[in-house]
Amino acid sequence: MAVMKTTREVKGVGLAIPRPDGPEKVTGQVQYVADIKPKGMLHAKLLRSPHAHARIVKIDTSRAKTLPGVRAILTARDIPELKRKAPTRAHAVLAIDRVVFAGQPVAAIAADDLAIAEEAMDLIDVEYEVLPAAVDPLKSMQVGAPPVADAGTEADTSEALAHSGVAVARSEPTAPAKAVNIAQQAKLARGDVARGFAEADVVVEKTYRVPMVHQGYLEPHAVLAQWDANGQLTLYSSTQGSFNTRSEVADVLHIEENRIKVIPVECGGGFGGKIRALCEPITAILARVTKRPVRYVMTRREELEAGMPAPQVIIRLKTGATRDGTLTALDGETVIESGAFSGAVLTMSAVFLSSVYQFPAFEVRGFEVLTHKPSIAAYRAPTAPQTFFAIDSQMELMARELGLDAVEFRLRHLMKEGDPMANGQPWQSNGATQVLQRLAEHPLWKSRAEWKARSGKDGRGLCGTGLALGGWIPGLQPTGATVRLNPDGSLQVLTGQVDIAGTNIALAQIAASAYGLDIDRVKITTGDTDTAPMTGLSAGSKTVYTVGTAVMQAAQDARRQTLEIAAKEMEAAIEDLEIEDGRVVVRGVPDKGVTLASIGKKGNLYMSKVPPVLGVAHPAFAQQAPAFAAQLARIEVDPDTGEVTLHDFVVVQDAGRAINPLGVEGQMQGGAVQSLGIALTEAMMYDDSGRLMNPSLLDYRKLTAADLPNIETIIVEVPAPAGPFGARGVGEPPIVPAPAALANAVHDATGIRLTEAPLTSERIALALAAAR
Amino acid sequence: MPKQMLSCIVNGETVEVLVQPYVTLLDALREDLDLTGPKEGCGTGDCGACTVHLDGEPIASCLMLAMQARGREVRTIEGLAGSGALHPLQDAFVRLGVPQCGFCIPGVLMAAAALLAQNPRPTQEQIRYGIAGNLCRCTGYTKMLAAITEAAGALPARGV
Amino acid sequence: MRRFELTLPRSIDEAVRVLRDRGSDAKLLAGGTDLLPQMKNGLLKPACVVDLSGVAQVRTLEPAARGLRVGAAVPARALERDTVVRSTYTSLAESAALVGSVQVRNLATLGGNVCNAAPSADMAPPLLALEAVAVIVGPRGERRVPFADFFTGVRRTVLGADEILIEIVVPPPGPRSGGQYLRHTPRRELDIAVVGVASQLTLSNGACTKARIALAAVAPVPLRAHEAEQALEGKPVTAEAIEQAAELAVGVARPISDQRGSADYRRHLVRVLTRRTLRTALTRAGG
Repeated sequence: MAVMKTTREVKGVGLAIPRPDGPEKVTGQVQYVADIKPKGMLHAKLLRSPHAHARIVKIDTSRAKTLPGVRAILTARDIPELKRKAPTRAHAVLAIDRVVFAGQPVAAIAADDLAIAEEAMDLIDVEYEVLPAAVDPLKSMQVGAPPVADAGTEADTSEALAHSGVAVARSEPTAPAKAVNIAQQAKLARGDVARGFAEADVVVEKTYRVPMVHQGYLEPHAVLAQWDANGQLTLYSSTQGSFNTRSEVADVLHIEENRIKVIPVECGGGFGGKIRALCEPITAILARVTKRPVRYVMTRREELEAGMPAPQVIIRLKTGATRDGTLTALDGETVIESGAFSGAVLTMSAVFLSSVYQFPAFEVRGFEVLTHKPSIAAYRAPTAPQTFFAIDSQMELMARELGLDAVEFRLRHLMKEGDPMANGQPWQSNGATQVLQRLAEHPLWKSRAEWKARSGKDGRGLCGTGLALGGWIPGLQPTGATVRLNPDGSLQVLTGQVDIAGTNIALAQIAASAYGLDIDRVKITTGDTDTAPMTGLSAGSKTVYTVGTAVMQAAQDARRQTLEIAAKEMEAAIEDLEIEDGRVVVRGVPDKGVTLASIGKKGNLYMSKVPPVLGVAHPAFAQQAPAFAAQLARIEVDPDTGEVTLHDFVVVQDAGRAINPLGVEGQMQGGAVQSLGIALTEAMMYDDSGRLMNPSLLDYRKLTAADLPNIETIIVEVPAPAGPFGARGVGEPPIVPAPAALANAVHDATGIRLTEAPLTSERIALALAAAR
Repeated sequence: MPKQMLSCIVNGETVEVLVQPYVTLLDALREDLDLTGPKEGCGTGDCGACTVHLDGEPIASCLMLAMQARGREVRTIEGLAGSGALHPLQDAFVRLGVPQCGFCIPGVLMAAAALLAQNPRPTQEQIRYGIAGNLCRCTGYTKMLAAITEAAGALPARGV
Repeated sequence: MRRFELTLPRSIDEAVRVLRDRGSDAKLLAGGTDLLPQMKNGLLKPACVVDLSGVAQVRTLEPAARGLRVGAAVPARALERDTVVRSTYTSLAESAALVGSVQVRNLATLGGNVCNAAPSADMAPPLLALEAVAVIVGPRGERRVPFADFFTGVRRTVLGADEILIEIVVPPPGPRSGGQYLRHTPRRELDIAVVGVASQLTLSNGACTKARIALAAVAPVPLRAHEAEQALEGKPVTAEAIEQAAELAVGVARPISDQRGSADYRRHLVRVLTRRTLRTALTRAGG
């Protein structure tokens, strides 16, 4: 792909510049949904089921309706357009006659203030007939388990397809399941697995488990809904995808998409937890019924009980190798627990298990299992942290058993470009080898023996070091962008992309470099669903890769139009023209030329024959660009309490081309700490009846600044052939490796191999005590 | 339920506002005084997004009733900068690219400002504990540490 | 939170009158760090809240030679920072420094912590180990209750519905006395004790004259490990004696298994933390 040539370096791609919205954010001026309060606004509350599985016998709202200050109370009976069998979570606006997870909404209230709404909740009488609940996924997938979905509800594979795209094409579905809670199945296989194990000298068999975790964004779900006199609905939403939300809400409410405008308000974190509509439909209905603006903000408790967490993943893995270190066979089973509604990304796990490291013979079976828990969405790289926890631990275990260096063992078997993925498609170019090699050169890795030797001396605990490799295959989604030349010669970029990760500055830098204008003359705007071109989710690490490509192409288009206009005016050939310092000049003749401002003005002048410069691009994509990260942890373990102290943590990541290194570092550091949370402290804990036991941030433990060292970042660049300026997605890979890296570090320090995350101090202490 | 009169000082100005007795200081700041800088991330004192200064000390404003601030001095993120220029902490946060989604930032800045006012030359560990009551999900805290360290160097040794 | 009336008494007597009139409809509010979360979760729905912010009497902190007097509404942060508390009543300062986060410690009070009476209350074990006394005021006047008798069950104390804890009195530990509070938590801040232990040792002529060991989060109430204490008293504090005491402390613990920790792990931690706090107490006592 051609890089724009300029005679002077343009300030754009590659600059480590801070985001332009920094000043707004540090002064508290930026507005989130909960900060917006139109006149006459009402507050919404949802009454939620305390039971994981129950029949709703009766709901009596009569007492609550008489409370002064209550403006509306709705149950499913009041919303005729609700589908009898909700195909997706968004459609399950209010439970009709059955609840399928504790926390599912059964009634909605709009009131003058939140305190009145809470009191109204106390006055609603619901009679439930409690039913047996399917809580353990391994039991839920058996014949005879309490059914979760209504019979005939289709599995929602849309996200799975968006992520796996090409990868899913060749998977072989197995025979239809008799177990009603298995929503999806897949099997990938190659070669003769039985013979592979027969030939193996070393066989390692383990079961790995990572519980459900919550994305933990600081801003809970929030939406403000307002109808106007023309029947147009405006939704201010904390969402990762305004167009996605619009489509879902339109479908749920049975109205046309262009009667809805979704305004993507500053989003206080999403990470995959805000990729689907959740609270928008009910808030819109309350607004319609009360004829007032209605705002609904989830409490933290509601987020934990009734958000859309990441799935629990249980992987049984058996691998074999010969004495000389040749891999012979892999047999694996991945169980992904999706909660009450289907939608897991199923086949990525199978692909990562069997073809990141090239096994000549393998069979992997994947199952999506439903349980009576809140349904899942993604938490960056869905199922990847859990899958690499398994396969990386397994590779480390085999290396140890064979007496081989763990890094060399990985490098030897790591796929290269062109090697087959589990489905037969070739691996695209990627930097997996490079990031692992770079990490292995780090002084912390090279000095690991010295560190370990300090165990028990000078008051130290057990010292150890561990590393792991992980990655993601970012998704693709068609999109559009426009680039306009303003009458003053500045540039205006428009996309519909919600800027969560700081992608806007990167997109502006791409536009700057592609057009030929310094970044400080480029403004980028995120439009709403009425004004912006179709745009996909800000998720899947695909913003820079896809929207960046659209912006680049639109900027190139705008540049071409600009040069065409200038060529005519200057009577020169386009090939001889250059954009430099805000002017179009003939290459080598810098003192003559036409300013961009004059071209921009002419395109806006009364009676002018010069068209306005409007660059447009609306690409679709076919080529994915895998992105890998390797992480290292240097730890010390208190042998008595089992507490892990993180002394150092390093992330090496292939960014393809770091459009904005400051932004890339931020993603690497943030993703790494999320990964460490999964590794060390985070778990959603359910009791036998399906109720969440830790619905608060006291007991759902996210790591604090006091628990962490500085996260060291090293950016590697292996350009993606189809990425804008070679860029790859960077948001998801850093969440992947830490659980395996920590398991490897704990093993190094203590001799104990833990296969269940989080690696809590209790698990470590009791394992150490048992080993003595 | 009759409202009560809350008289206090907010961001250096005397304030008299009628508030419901059952609202928190956070609610009153956000809804009655239109100071939406402090955020609600959890409502139970477990995340720090609601951090404001009460008589110069950082507190979780979601755990205090509004009327408990009567006669006292409250400072929010909106009052951190003097008139015009940004506080050195705010400036360092912007230049070092700290804010991502931005939701935790007002609380972190208030906690860091209180820390530096009391301990102008903190160690890295003291900084980490000074903001340990502020959860951030986007940044991993590393750039915050660098920015707070840099701002500490830019402030007079006596603190602000 | 649901709606409620708020009264703002200016004296303890006024507050007592409100409690007497409203009975179990009323709840006292000091720092709010336990009360407000419980009200927001719907666990408590008082019709009337009595705010003690305007009662100066319960906010004084007076370290003196004859003992420490802590107003019930003194925030943990004040105890964390006070030089006398840190040097002489060290375990109390250490426990105060561990509550929540700095934003919570500036609000959370010593009185609130003990009146909320969670089994894991961090500031309770030091009060037990230092043999502190609760000063309680009600319609029938003032009474004093040693903290050893203060806690009666999970979130239950000797306080009547019309009584207010106004002050905590801690006698001076005396010369050659040292103590420490340690707890284990999954995170270093914003957390709650899986197990907490306070030890206090007083020495004389090479032997231990007084040993006090108190445990949190291993029983319905914070409690003393009497047998462990008795095993230490009257002899030199050797490594073996510490080991034996740690083992006896495990015997007094009757922990439950819950989402924060299993009973096995808690018993294990009692042994570890008792051993560690005794070692430090010995060093701090000059042994």
